[in-house]
Amino acid sequence: MLKKIECFIQPSKLDSIKDALFRAGVEGMSITDVRGVGRQRGYTKDEKPKKEVKFLPKEKLEVVLDENMVEDVITLIKKLARTGTIGAGKIFVLPVEDAVRVSTDEVGRSAIH
Amino acid sequence: MKRNKMLNPWQMALEQFDSVANRMKLEPGVHNILRNPKRCLIVSMPVKMDRGEVKVFTGYRVHHNISRGPAKGGIRYHPDVTLDEVKALAMWMTWKCAVVGVPYGGAKGGITCNPKEMSRGEVERLTRRYTSEIISMIGPERDIPAPDVNTDSQIMAWIMDTFSIDRGYSVPGVVTGKPLSIGGSLGRTEATGRGCMFTVVNAVKYMGLDLHRQRVAVQGFGNVGSVVAKLLFDQGCRITGISDVDGGIHNEKGLDPYKVEKHTQKNGSVTGYRETEAITNKELLALDCDILIPAALEGQITRSNAGRVKAKIVAEAANGPTTPEADRILKEKKIFVIPDILTNAGGVVVSYFEWVQGLQAYFWSEREVNLKLRDIMEKAFDEVYNLSKKKKVSMRNAAYILAISRVAEAHRIRGLYP
Repeated sequence: MLKKIECFIQPSKLDSIKDALFRAGVEGMSITDVRGVGRQRGYTKDEKPKKEVKFLPKEKLEVVLDENMVEDVITLIKKLARTGTIGAGKIFVLPVEDAVRVSTDEVGRSAIH
Repeated sequence: MKRNKMLNPWQMALEQFDSVANRMKLEPGVHNILRNPKRCLIVSMPVKMDRGEVKVFTGYRVHHNISRGPAKGGIRYHPDVTLDEVKALAMWMTWKCAVVGVPYGGAKGGITCNPKEMSRGEVERLTRRYTSEIISMIGPERDIPAPDVNTDSQIMAWIMDTFSIDRGYSVPGVVTGKPLSIGGSLGRTEATGRGCMFTVVNAVKYMGLDLHRQRVAVQGFGNVGSVVAKLLFDQGCRITGISDVDGGIHNEKGLDPYKVEKHTQKNGSVTGYRETEAITNKELLALDCDILIPAALEGQITRSNAGRVKAKIVAEAANGPTTPEADRILKEKKIFVIPDILTNAGGVVVSYFEWVQGLQAYFWSEREVNLKLRDIMEKAFDEVYNLSKKKKVSMRNAAYILAISRVAEAHRIRGLYP
């Protein structure tokens, strides 16, 4: 079955992660510039948190793959996205019911490989 | 179509099994276990016919092997049903369930009769009597029958009813292929045809061909043939030939199987459909097409006609349509044969889903059933295909190797009692 990985990472980590994903056999992905916060509500370790939430720039990377690739891809992203401090990001795994390649009518795994 | 009187389906099934088991160097003990059906029941059923006379019918239920799980297999009503045919069909069910990875063993049942010459009342009485005769063998945890040639969801409903009345409470899990109103699964009636369509689509993909250019001929227009013809038509294939027990039709420009089906419902057969050339079943098998789908009875492609098959792909929607000798001829002609135990496994996969949904008492949407079916059929096809490439053997041999090794492993791990 197909799964979608949505991960939120620091912008500085994008290049190394995307290269590694292509090397791992991922054939397509999209990125979106987003702003986001986690538990710290946008304040770094050294800042004193105020009431206002500080949305910080992140990169959202989305890729759909066969579920047998999910664990390896998660391991890869985790390794490369870590920053040594808070704010490294999140990875979400979602079920994908189906996929369709627009140009050829291929469906399912054939649509993403 | 003619039943080959010389053909013994059990001998054929044994030959298919032995040849692979020998090459796999299967341990003699396990080889012998798998060669012999675990149990066979022959029953005599007296039925009062509409005109008053009592006719005695012979019925069978065979469990071939139940090491991987409860027995599973359909019930066939046909004049040519014999113990040997039921044994062969039961053995093919064991391999089929193992190839697609559903946790069942192989079984089959049958009654020697011609339901086309019987009234619905006679068929019902025969069905209920058969159920009571095999009642000790069947049950939701032990043996779960299903439809096959000339049986349908109504007959499954009568079996479920008879079993439930005997128990004193409703046991929907005793059969699959039930009507929706009593616990049937959405997608079940089309499942075998749909599974066959998935294997054809995969074969065409692996051969690098364009689905839209494929000319398809289907032998048989029943439970399986009519569905696979419609689904491949929907995928863009050109259906150039269709046949049933009364004969066949051919139109090189292509037929609309939906319209042919309406014609069949009105006239009882595909024959006579407009703007077609009348052909025999024999001629359909030899049609100049790309994909040939035998979807009727066993033993249709034999030594005497295999040489005339012109299709590039033969997808065995029926059980045992190709004899071992014909298999060798088709191999020499480099025809890609997708074996029955893979091609027609869609039915047992959705039967398994029906059983699972029944156990959960929670029913899935048709979309969910079909997506899960596609996933299982694609994975099974990939496994068989990759093994056939790796070991440089035919798809049939690869499927058998996979199936036999899974059943043998169940035996090894369970050990021998006592």
